[in-house]
Amino acid sequence: MKPIRLLSALFACSSLTAPALAAEPAAVVETYADIAEAVYADSLSTAQSLREAVGALTASPSAETLAAARTAWLASRVPYQQSEAYRFGNPIVDDWEGKVNAWPLDEGLIDYVDASYGESEENPLYTLNVIAHPQFSIAGTEIDAAEITPELIGETLHEADGIEANVASGYHAVEFLLWGQDLNGVEAGAGDRPWTDYAQGEACTNGNCDRRAAYLTAATDLLVSDLEYIVAQWAEDGEARKAVTADPQAGLTAMLTGMGSLSYGEQAGERMKLGLMLHDPEEEHDCFSDNTHNSHYYDGLGIRNVYLGSYARVDGSVLSGPSLSELVAAADPAVDAQLKTELDASVEKLAALKAKADSGEMAYDQMLAPGAAEGEALIMGAVDALVTQTASIERAMNVLGLTKVEFEGSDSLDNPNAVFQ
Amino acid sequence: MRRVLAFLLLAGLPAPAFADVGAVIDRHILPAYEGFAAAAESLAAEAEKTCAPEALRPPFNAAWDAWMQAAHLHLGPSEEKGRALAILFWPDPKGLGAKAQRALLTGDAAALEPEAFAEQSVAARGLAGLERLIYPSVLPEEADSCPLIRATTRDLARMAEELVAGWEGPEGFAQNLLTAGEPGNARYLAQSEAVQALFTQLMAGVEFQADQRLGRPLGTKDRPRPERAEARASERSARNLILALKALREMAVTLDGTAARSAAAFDRAIEAAEALEDPTFAGVASPEERPKIEELQKLVRQIRRTALDEMPPTLGVTAGFNSQDGD
Repeated sequence: MKPIRLLSALFACSSLTAPALAAEPAAVVETYADIAEAVYADSLSTAQSLREAVGALTASPSAETLAAARTAWLASRVPYQQSEAYRFGNPIVDDWEGKVNAWPLDEGLIDYVDASYGESEENPLYTLNVIAHPQFSIAGTEIDAAEITPELIGETLHEADGIEANVASGYHAVEFLLWGQDLNGVEAGAGDRPWTDYAQGEACTNGNCDRRAAYLTAATDLLVSDLEYIVAQWAEDGEARKAVTADPQAGLTAMLTGMGSLSYGEQAGERMKLGLMLHDPEEEHDCFSDNTHNSHYYDGLGIRNVYLGSYARVDGSVLSGPSLSELVAAADPAVDAQLKTELDASVEKLAALKAKADSGEMAYDQMLAPGAAEGEALIMGAVDALVTQTASIERAMNVLGLTKVEFEGSDSLDNPNAVFQ
Repeated sequence: MRRVLAFLLLAGLPAPAFADVGAVIDRHILPAYEGFAAAAESLAAEAEKTCAPEALRPPFNAAWDAWMQAAHLHLGPSEEKGRALAILFWPDPKGLGAKAQRALLTGDAAALEPEAFAEQSVAARGLAGLERLIYPSVLPEEADSCPLIRATTRDLARMAEELVAGWEGPEGFAQNLLTAGEPGNARYLAQSEAVQALFTQLMAGVEFQADQRLGRPLGTKDRPRPERAEARASERSARNLILALKALREMAVTLDGTAARSAAAFDRAIEAAEALEDPTFAGVASPEERPKIEELQKLVRQIRRTALDEMPPTLGVTAGFNSQDGD
């Protein structure tokens, strides 16, 4: 990041009462790349803190060290969720993100599960339980898992047998290892893994505590190194930065595509409405930790950050610069005003949902229960706001003369080059 | 209109965007929902008489055929109260539907009362749920499935009626599209927004055929997934694809009567699908048959590319965001 950014941040603060300056596309995509670098750097630093807390937990397991690791995990989600608005517009991010934030997962792949977990028709590794088995086979291949390493997790176990639910790495694998399954259904309460799952020797509960500690350590190491990769992609000469700055129009398209795809198909649809319509607490995004309300809220905030060109870092400082909002306002002030109002509205609705869950009155699980009218209203309020803002994101694309990036679904898996065609 | 367009072109003026939203509503959308409502009603009526699978299969298949005329429309009433999700919940990789149905088969009968049933998981309801009840499936055979069959068919008929009611009449969603750009229409602020909404449905619909209906069973070369084909028990996998492509073709040419290249791309894919004679795409796992299904997927993807190339200049809009943009 260049020092000049700080200067522009000062200008942005002092220009509140001045008439909006016409932002240049090149400057707007520069802000976008700077915020990406900052939000991923914050994700990395908080993941490093998580790694330290995991080290303390495995070195001296106790209720306190487990609680501290959980707190560190929750803190690491705050910046990461705000980065999600970068996913859908940037192929480099989209191809990578499955390593760190894949969800939902068949957690029985990793560790012991409750009998109520049942069986899967589609996933033969549904209850593989790597922690209990140093040797097993995946689709006919014998695997030596005596030593649990980041390579084993990332290259052999993750998406094993081509099944997306075999999530072996990333935030949610670590989350499962810290909290365990949430067996409270649509009642309040998160997973309740005892700290003794990491106790060594006689005190060990549920068996294989050494391998569980090894898995947790390796998965957290892998999370840190995966985040190092993405920070580098957005650094001065990083490929992801170049992709959006080399051609500012393409960069603007990436910005709005990311905002719209996350708002509608992913956040409003896949993560919020679908879970509600299934009444299934397994469909909560952060289901083990009961952190879903925060995960939704910070996603919404991240979408607005991209538009306003402003991000509040974990150290409290604010990074801001020439914004997409200014650019849209110059083309059509009414579209900009409406989109800003709608982004505020969705953040407000998500904040209401978060406040309700934080108050302890109603957990996100309970909002999903069949017939839970108040919970449904809270969730659908946010869903409707996200859908509404998507229409204005389309309008912003239209006034800037941009067309949504077409990632062709599974094409990006079959043929990594297809997305660039 | 054609003459006006020619005149404008001759006069060197920019061609106006031309898209027939009214025709899409009158000739494609409303008949599709009305047809589904009639078929769902017949199915429910038959289920009141008997729960015998053999008797229910014909009206069940007719209802699914009818739904394929409208399944690609993810806007308006189908997006409310999870209706489209409930009518056809597929794919269901975690087997949530069967799990929820098992609970309903053995649980409190009160959950099968219409109001309570409407609140149940979308995965447990609708056509995919009914298929598990009247064709061999993972559900336990010993349970009395008749009450659940009746609840499911009644629920389908109710949702179908709500879709028709939600589209038609002075307050219906059709009016939203038709009055796009008029004062008081907060959803569509310009006529072009209504056109974009329809074109988006069309493109997302084609994408779904390639990525899901074909992509799921195709899996990868090393790991084909014939077991992931849609509606294998009722052997409707290829039939659903063909009906969906025909419905999407109809929507495309109704929206833009000049889209000849897109229509031809549809025809090539439909012809290839009809020539397969593989009702469940079981051939994905056979070295001789697999290339034909891969080729079909390419032809379906080609429809989308062609339409994205051909239609936006005529329509004056391109595809917007759709509900499948997530992962």
